[in-house]
Amino acid sequence: MRINDLLLGLVMALLGAVTIWASKDFPPLARQPYGAGTFPTIIGTFLVGLGLLLSLRGWQQRGALFIWQGQVTLSRTLTCLLAVIAAVAGYVLLTPLLGFPLVAPLMLALLIGWLSDGRWGMAVIVAIVASAVVWSVFALLLHVPLDLGILEEVIY
Amino acid sequence: MAELQAALGMVFAWDVLAVILGASLFGLLIGAIPGLTATMATALLVPVTFFMEPLPAISAIVAATAMAIVAGDIPGALLRIPGTPASAAYTEEAYLMGRQGKIGQALGVNLACSVVGGLIGVAILAFFAPLVADFALRFTSDEYFWLALLGLSCAVLVSGADPLKGAISMLIGLLIAMVGMDSVSGQIRFTFGISDLLSGISILPVLIGLFAVAELLRRMPEIGHTHFPPPPPVEKPFSGVGGLMWQYKAGIARSGVLGTLIGALPGAGADIASWISYALSRKLSRTPEKYGTGHPEGLVAASSANNAALSGAYIPALVFGIPGDTITAIIIGVLMMKGITPGPDVFTSSATLVNAIFIVFILANLLLLPLGLLAIRGARHILAVPSSVLYPLILLFCIVGAFAANNSLLDVWLMLGLGLLAYFLVENDFPIGPMILAVILGPVVESNFMRSMIKANGELLVLFERPIAAMLGGLALLVWLAIIVSSVRSAWQTRASATSA
Repeated sequence: MRINDLLLGLVMALLGAVTIWASKDFPPLARQPYGAGTFPTIIGTFLVGLGLLLSLRGWQQRGALFIWQGQVTLSRTLTCLLAVIAAVAGYVLLTPLLGFPLVAPLMLALLIGWLSDGRWGMAVIVAIVASAVVWSVFALLLHVPLDLGILEEVIY
Repeated sequence: MAELQAALGMVFAWDVLAVILGASLFGLLIGAIPGLTATMATALLVPVTFFMEPLPAISAIVAATAMAIVAGDIPGALLRIPGTPASAAYTEEAYLMGRQGKIGQALGVNLACSVVGGLIGVAILAFFAPLVADFALRFTSDEYFWLALLGLSCAVLVSGADPLKGAISMLIGLLIAMVGMDSVSGQIRFTFGISDLLSGISILPVLIGLFAVAELLRRMPEIGHTHFPPPPPVEKPFSGVGGLMWQYKAGIARSGVLGTLIGALPGAGADIASWISYALSRKLSRTPEKYGTGHPEGLVAASSANNAALSGAYIPALVFGIPGDTITAIIIGVLMMKGITPGPDVFTSSATLVNAIFIVFILANLLLLPLGLLAIRGARHILAVPSSVLYPLILLFCIVGAFAANNSLLDVWLMLGLGLLAYFLVENDFPIGPMILAVILGPVVESNFMRSMIKANGELLVLFERPIAAMLGGLALLVWLAIIVSSVRSAWQTRASATSA
């Protein structure tokens, strides 16, 4: 999804301005003109300057504000973006409740089944095997505390 | 001698060798699959290396990246689709050789030249890095400030066709690096009251978000819309390769050296080394008209250069802590997570580790031959792995990997947010390389500047008092002038073309 440089430049300049504003109260070091606010202010100033330059360039190009290009349709791309966001958000929100051993295979099976146009049998088998492998490597071998959720009560 | 023996002992331990073999196979898989890059292989490896000792951790990354770059040549030659950007310069040449019935020879040349190029790079790295480190021991915070700033500036300049977008990408990276407690003043910045952010944004979710999640978001919509034809069988790899390499020995040596030097430049990695070596080889060739018709000369030069560049990038990374490319930026991040700050002191305080890293480089490059041959033979099977299965698995690996460093679900959110940010930026031609370099170098620039200012009571001109600092400062300011002039000129040209249209 291509966004006109006019808009992108304005967003960058705004980000720079917010950074400068947020850095104004950082105190300098003792007997120094410099302190914790120096670098964020410099970064913000450059962002404002370069963002406005980008905007100017975009304005001179006079193109559309949004353009969709590429072989894949916009709806397909947006669906994939949403699927990834939903998968990550679902994992973060559900794992503390249901636990990795339930959430990970479910997430994988749904994604694989959807992306492979409904080969659900294969999706479920791959999801279970892959989740077991990831659990073995991270939880058992590397001792990463992957959440057990409600399974904690069942197991212990 | 005793140090070398100790280094050999460190490398030839069963766990390090097993890590090198496993990481090589992982790099082989990722590199051979079109669209998945060597940087992505590195980013995915980092969560696992987090739990290793420094040497196996670095060994894993060195082996995986070298293998991924070589494996990236395979889909290029077989399907005309470069496996990694570093193979793109000579994909057409290798593919056309295949159409002439010389697919085995094309892949054999790729593999053998990669090994030789890689070894040239290691030789230069092992010879020059300690010398430069010895010289750099005299550096103070003044020189380090300018050196880090110069690294950032060069990364912007060579990052792509549009230095303005490269500079903005770098500024966003610097902004990410500002989050957390300032190391000099102790001031808390941009944490929005989230205590998990006090120590800053962890490097792991940044790496995984920028290089793995963003790439997944770009590739996932293509599933079902891109179909690879079945690759042709590869027969007699290495047939006639020795003769070709002897014929173009000067080109291999030149590209090996050139690739190493380009790799050592901040921001310029294996892909740029490959393109420049190919172009130079064509310029110096007696038969430039044969380029682009399935001629091996350019293939020989570029595939030597890209593996040499991998080693070259480690020179500034190990000596100064200034990454030469995105992969060494990741390496520096890994070393810092393990409490080792790369710099000239490492060559004296951890000389055995440095020697062991050089030996790992040699070993990883030699391993390319048998494993590369295995990859060529098994290319059909690797290319048959369906993306619809692979991408969700990579996503799960990303989530667990981002969580693993701090056992924090906030890191998973950060990974997602940064992945989305990188996706939109790349879609709009903002390069990501300067951003990751800025995340690593931002604190280096700031802390050295503040140290210099504390020493000099806030007198800015002190930064130019020492001769080397003055030279580095002058260079950095010149590079910034070039970036600003180029940005203003591009805006001016856009205006002129819009007016004439």
